[in-house]
Amino acid sequence: MRYTEFTPFDLWLLTQGLGVTIGLFLATSLLGVLIGVVWGVIRFYRVPVLTQLITFVSEILKNSPVLVQLFLVFFGFPGLLKMNVTPVTAALITLSANTAAFVYVIAVSAIESIGRDQIEAARVFGLTRWQVLRHVIAPQAAAFSIGPLTALLVNQLQVTSLISVIGVMDLAKIGANLNLRTLKPFIVWTAVGILYYLAAKLVAMLGSALEKRLRAHSAFRGL
Amino acid sequence: MLKVENVKKAFGDVIVLDGVNLTVSPGEVVSILGSSGSGKSTLIRCINGLEKLNDGRITVDDFDVSKPRDLAEARKRSGTVFQLFNLYPHMTALQNITLAPVEVLKRPKAEAEAEGRALLASVGLGDRADAYPSQLSGGQRQRVGICRALAMKPRYLLLDEVTSALDPEMTAEVLAILAKLATDGTTMLFVTHEIEFARQISDRIVFLEKGKLLVDLPAEQFFAPDGGLAQPRVAQFLSKMRKD
Ligand SMILES: Nc1ncnc2c1ncn2[C@@H]1O[C@H](COP(=O)(O)OP(=O)(O)OP(=O)(O)O)[C@@H](O)[C@H]1O
Ligand SMILES: [Mg+2]
Repeated sequence: MRYTEFTPFDLWLLTQGLGVTIGLFLATSLLGVLIGVVWGVIRFYRVPVLTQLITFVSEILKNSPVLVQLFLVFFGFPGLLKMNVTPVTAALITLSANTAAFVYVIAVSAIESIGRDQIEAARVFGLTRWQVLRHVIAPQAAAFSIGPLTALLVNQLQVTSLISVIGVMDLAKIGANLNLRTLKPFIVWTAVGILYYLAAKLVAMLGSALEKRLRAHSAFRGL
Repeated sequence: MLKVENVKKAFGDVIVLDGVNLTVSPGEVVSILGSSGSGKSTLIRCINGLEKLNDGRITVDDFDVSKPRDLAEARKRSGTVFQLFNLYPHMTALQNITLAPVEVLKRPKAEAEAEGRALLASVGLGDRADAYPSQLSGGQRQRVGICRALAMKPRYLLLDEVTSALDPEMTAEVLAILAKLATDGTTMLFVTHEIEFARQISDRIVFLEKGKLLVDLPAEQFFAPDGGLAQPRVAQFLSKMRKD
């Protein structure tokens, strides 16, 4: 039997879908930023082999479709690694890695944006590479990268909708189910679109608030 | 003692330092003159460990800058003031000064800050401790740069054309501070184009030409007709500088 009308319960389903989307987004963003920054630091120390490997992996991740990566993890890993990969695990792995690849690029350019001369000054006064990174480079690099990072995360939030394809019950998947049941695509996808939009707006606002704080804390304004 | 022994440095095929020997004893002020591209900055950068030597040896109080084990100790003993200040733009004047004492010398923060403020006051910046570099004039920035170096209590102060990015008024304010440091007995290795000033404050003046140290003389002899001026290159250089 088909229910073709909307019920209040559908709102609850949408909220749940939004929750899954945001939860996965937060988890993969956190992991992605963490991994991407660590990769950036490894490159800063010019660790041989590892640096080249990271650059290579990041290139691959940036230049192939997320959907393909997702299929590779979801369908390819179980056979290859003899492990069970649930849709959520596949989503976590794929989205984190993809975010990390782009965060790596942002981290590298942020680190490289810091003037050589300041770094040389810090070295001459005896600071270790780690102290230079922590006290001279990191605060400025963070302020520099928060803008591009926010733009990236807003985009990655939209990218999460791809995981509905492998059956994760996220906002897009709930929307698809609802659409099948009600046969009212215009209303369903408008509602889903608005929810994505609101979530993205929230991310953008948090980003710019953080940027203001970081820049106030390190209140320098170019020259 | 700061000792530069037979130092050679090349960038690719270009030989920039070609067997330089130089000694600076505690309390001395030694000025380095030489035309553009003669290798003055490179020599300073070799002494503070920013460039690797191709040959020869540099020791700061017997710590060899080419030995990774010694470099940290050598760097603690020399302080550098840069031509373009090289301040940390995200830190206030005071934070610029206290970073290395706190992180490298492990001085208590409060102590380092008190000393930093005293240093700033001594160069006439007592009220600008919390200003960021972008809020300071060039002359003020360079005074912060000098305080930053002095805060490490270096035995040797290395200065590379520290006034050449400044206008005459700011140059005067920075030179006044350096003159006072010289009088107080600070050991300085001083790269400059300020010939008259070098003559006033230096114990010795050396002349670098195409990576070779042509002349190393007491200041007054450097300008004597039978001293430095006997060298045609030095005479040429001095007359050119005076014309500019
Ligand atoms: N990193 C580098 N790579 C290649 N060549 C360099 C490098 N640094 C300096 N040189 C070259 O070494 C030579 C000496 O440069 P250096 O900066 O030591 O001269 P200088 O005496 O300080 O000149 P100036 O009075 O203009 O500051 C120059 O020919 C310069 O082009
Ligand atoms: Mg120079």
